[in-house]
Amino acid sequence: MFHKRCTPGEHAVGRRAFLGASTAFAATAFADMTGLNVLGSSALAADLKKTQKRVILLWLAGGCSQLETWDPKPGASTGGPFRAIPTDVTGVHISELMPQMAQRMKHVCVMRGLDTKNGDHGSAAKLMMRGRRDEAGLKYPDLGAVVAREMGRADSKVPDYVTFYTQTEGRSFAPGDSGFLGARYAPMELTTNNIPEYIRKLDGISDLDHKQRGELRDLLGKQFTKGRQSETMGSHNEAYERVRGIMASESLFDISKEPQKVRDRYGPTQFGQQALIARRLVEAGVPFVRVARAWWDSHGQNFETHQEMVPELDHVMAALIDDLKDRGLLNDVMIVTLSEFGRTPGINSSLGRDHFASAWSSTITGCGIKGGSVYGKTDDKGNKVVAEQVDGGSLFATIYAALGINPEKNYYVGSRPIPLVNPGVQAVEEVLL
Amino acid sequence: MRLLRLVLSGLAVLTYAATGRTDDLPPAGRPIESVVDQFVDAKMAADKVTPAELADDATLVRRLTLDLVGRIPTVGETDAYLKSTDADKRTKLIDRLMASTAFDRHQAIQFDVMLNGELARQGRGSVRDYLTQAMKDRKPWDQIFRELMLPGDTDATKAAGEFLRARVTDADKMTNDVSVAFFGVNVSCAQCHDHPLVKDWKQDHFFGMKSFLARTYEAGNFVAERDAGVVKFKPIKGPEKTAKLMFLTGAVVETDTLRELSKDEQKKEKEAADKKKDKTATAAPPRPKFSAREKLVEVALQPKEAEFFSRSIVNRLWHRFFGSGLVNPLDQMHSENPASHPDLLKWLARDLAAHKYDLRRLVRGIVMSKAYSRDSRYSSESRPEDKYFAVAKLKPLTPQQLATSLKIATTDPKSFEGLKESEFEKRIEQAEQAGRGLASLIAQPTDNFQIGVAEALLFSNGDRVAKEYLTDGGGTLLAAAKAAKEPTDAVALLVRTSMARPAGDDEVKALTAYATERKDRAADAYKQILWALVTCPEFRFCH
Repeated sequence: MFHKRCTPGEHAVGRRAFLGASTAFAATAFADMTGLNVLGSSALAADLKKTQKRVILLWLAGGCSQLETWDPKPGASTGGPFRAIPTDVTGVHISELMPQMAQRMKHVCVMRGLDTKNGDHGSAAKLMMRGRRDEAGLKYPDLGAVVAREMGRADSKVPDYVTFYTQTEGRSFAPGDSGFLGARYAPMELTTNNIPEYIRKLDGISDLDHKQRGELRDLLGKQFTKGRQSETMGSHNEAYERVRGIMASESLFDISKEPQKVRDRYGPTQFGQQALIARRLVEAGVPFVRVARAWWDSHGQNFETHQEMVPELDHVMAALIDDLKDRGLLNDVMIVTLSEFGRTPGINSSLGRDHFASAWSSTITGCGIKGGSVYGKTDDKGNKVVAEQVDGGSLFATIYAALGINPEKNYYVGSRPIPLVNPGVQAVEEVLL
Repeated sequence: MRLLRLVLSGLAVLTYAATGRTDDLPPAGRPIESVVDQFVDAKMAADKVTPAELADDATLVRRLTLDLVGRIPTVGETDAYLKSTDADKRTKLIDRLMASTAFDRHQAIQFDVMLNGELARQGRGSVRDYLTQAMKDRKPWDQIFRELMLPGDTDATKAAGEFLRARVTDADKMTNDVSVAFFGVNVSCAQCHDHPLVKDWKQDHFFGMKSFLARTYEAGNFVAERDAGVVKFKPIKGPEKTAKLMFLTGAVVETDTLRELSKDEQKKEKEAADKKKDKTATAAPPRPKFSAREKLVEVALQPKEAEFFSRSIVNRLWHRFFGSGLVNPLDQMHSENPASHPDLLKWLARDLAAHKYDLRRLVRGIVMSKAYSRDSRYSSESRPEDKYFAVAKLKPLTPQQLATSLKIATTDPKSFEGLKESEFEKRIEQAEQAGRGLASLIAQPTDNFQIGVAEALLFSNGDRVAKEYLTDGGGTLLAAAKAAKEPTDAVALLVRTSMARPAGDDEVKALTAYATERKDRAADAYKQILWALVTCPEFRFCH
C-alpha cells in the first residue's frame, strides 16, 4: 500500500555505502553514538535521507474561519458578507479575501471535511499539533518533532525544528513539544526575537577562543569516553559538535541577506518576514519550521478580523509558493495551514463566530500532495461534513505519507511499539500523488 | 562457641518459620549488600561475564556524594577520603552523607520526579515540600504512600494532597499515575482493550483501579471523596460492565457503594466543591464512611497483595543508584517481563517489607555493595549487557545535581574549608539555591535520555552560565587560579576542583600549554579551560 509511493531510488543504499559506513562506525571513538537505539541516528540513516523532505507549517492560532477562507458559503444564512471567487482549478471556489491564492490553487490540496471533535483551545491545539490525544502515561511527539526525527541528520549543521510564535495569545497552548522523543528533537523556539537564543557568542570571548575551547573540550572528552559507552553520552557529544554549525546558521535568520525583490515579495509584515526566514531555513536543510500567526479567535467582529488577517495569509502563502516554485523546491517542501479548530457557521450577536471543530478546513501544498484537489464536503450552511470526513489522525497520516514516511512505522517506548498514527488510522489516498 | 552456633541456627529456624519461607532465598537478616553481591556475582559467574574493576577512591567518593546528596564533593571532602587510611572510611562517608540534611532534600527531589514526572515542581505546598519533610522525619514508604493517598489536614500531610489534586480532573491519568508510581505497572494499555501482550492486564484491572480513585474530587484546598460512585466500561465484545473495586492482583473489595450518588449526596458534593472558591477553609471535608481510596491503601499493603508495592519501590531505588532497574522499563513489572535477578528482587522486597519499608536501610545496603562500586570503564570490546550490573552505567546528572555541582566546581575550594559541620551544610544549601535558576533550564533525564543542542548552546553562549558561574570575582575558583604562582598550579587547581579528582600529568601538560599560548590573557584562558572541563562528559555524568 504505502510502499508504492516510495520510489526505490530514493531509498536505495548501495552495498558499498553500507560497508563503508560500518567500517566508519568501528573506527569512531564514539561507537555508542551510532548504535541502534530507539532514537537511532546513524550515518546510514543520514544516507537514506539525502532526498530529504521539509515542512513549513503556517499555524493559524486561535482558530481561523473556514468560511472566510477555504470553504465559503456565499448566500447562505451562515455565509457572512464576503463573496466566493473562482480559482485556477475549475469548480473550486474560495473566499474573495484570497485573490492571490485563487490563482495558485492548482498546487494546493484543500481538506474541507475536518471533524476533530475538540473545541477547547488548549487541548485542541495539542491535538492538532500531534494528530492525536496524549495517553495517560505517554506524551506523543508533535508533527515537528516527528519530521525532525525522520528527516533530520544527526550531524546536521542546522537546527532540526524551528518554531516562530511571536504574539503572546495562545502561545502557551501550542508550544512545540517532542514528547517521548525527548530533548534531542525539542524545537528551537523563537518568541521575542527572530534570532534564536544563545546562537550568538557572548562579547567576552573571541571567535577563535570560542572555537578552540570547544576543541579543548573535545580533547578532554576523548580521554573520558575511552572504555565507556552510553547513548546519552553520545547525544551530549553530538550536541556540542553541532554548536558551531548552528552558530554559523545564524545568518539564515537574517533576511537582510535576501535581495530586496524577494523581501518585497513577502512583504513587510512580521508574518511575511518569518515566512521568508522559514524558506531560508528549509532551503538550508532544516526539516521543519512552524510560523505561528495569532490571534484568529474572533468571537466578536469576525468579519473585521478576517478582513484584516486573511489577505495577509493570502499574500504570504502565495509568496511562499511562488518562491519555492522558482527555486525548484516545491516538490520537496510542503506547506501546511492548520489551526486548532475552525469557526461556527452560526454568527453570534457580537457578529462573531465561536469555536467549531465539526466541519472545518486545512490545506496541504507541495511534496507528494495532489495539487488542485479538494477532499471533503460540508453541507450548504457549513454545519456538518456530508462526505469524505477526516479527523486529526488521518490528516497526519496523509501528511506523513505524502512526505514518504510510513504512518504505520513504529517508535519504541521501552518495549512498547508506538506507531506514528494510532492503529487503524489511514492516510487519504485520493490526495496523494 | 558451640553454644553460639546453636543459638544462631535456632535463630535461623525461627526466621524461617516467621516468614513462612518456602523457597531457597537467603535467610532474612543478612546484610543487604552481601545478598546483592551474592546474586549479582552468581549471575555473572553462570554466564561467564567478567565484571569491571572496582572504581578508584576518587570516583567512588564523587559517585556516592552525587547519588546521596546531589552534588559533587568539595576538594576538602575528596582529599580527606583519599588520604584516610581508616578501613571503615567508606561506611563512615556513607553515614555522614546520609545524616546530612542535603540527603533529605536530594532524595525528596528524586521521589518527586519519580511520582510526578513533569508535574514535579518546588514551592510552598508542593509535593516536594511534603516529601522533604517526610525524608527528614524518616517516614517509611508505606506511610508516605498512605499520606499521599489519604492526605489529612495537619501541616505535615496537607501538602501531600497536591499529588491527587494535580490529577483530580482526569481520573484516567490519576489511575495510571498511581499504578505506575506505586506498583510499577502501566495499565493505560488496558483502558481501551485487554493488554495485547500481557495476559495479566485486562480492562477489569484498569477500571478496577479507577473505581478506587474516581470518587475523588476537589474541595477548596483539599481533595475530598464521594460516598459512592460507579465506573462503567464497554469491553470490545459484549455488554457494558460495571467495574468492581479490584486491585491489580485481582483482589476485590466488596461494597454496596457501587452506585450513582443520590440527589442529597450530589447536593452535598456541590456545596463542598463550591468551597473551591473559598481558599480560606482550614479543614478538609469529612471522609466518607466507606472510603474507596482508603480501601485501596489497605488492600495494596495487605501481605498477599503487597508484593506489587514492595517490588516496585525496590526496583525504583535500584534504578536510582544503578541507572537501570532489575526490571526495565520501571512501569512494566509483569509476568511477561521478568527481572534480571528475580530472586534478588524477591529477597529485597521481602526484606524491605519485613523492615517496615525503611527506605534508608535499603539505600544504605545498595550503596554498600560491591556491585555499586564498579568502574564505568570496561577494557575489552565485548562489554557485558546492562542486566549484569558488571560495569557502572553512566547516569546523566539531574538538573539540580548539575547546577549545584557547577556552583561547587566554580567556587574557590577554600571557602568550604575550616567550617563547622553546620556551617558547611549551610554553604552547600546556598549552592543548591543558587543553582535553581539554571536547573530550571535543563531537561530532566529519563530512560534513553538524549541531550539536545539547546543545552550545549546554553552552556556555550548563555550569559547565565558566564555571569553566574564562570566569573572571576572574589571567592571564585577562577580568582584562586589567577592568584596561583605558576600556570601548572592554576590548571591543576581547576581540574582538582571541577573534576573532584587529582589532575593527571598529561592533562596538566596539555592545559598548561593552552594557558601559556594565551599568556597575554591568562584570566580568559583559565575561564576557557574551566568551561571545557565543566562541559565535558566527565562532569555531565555520574560515572
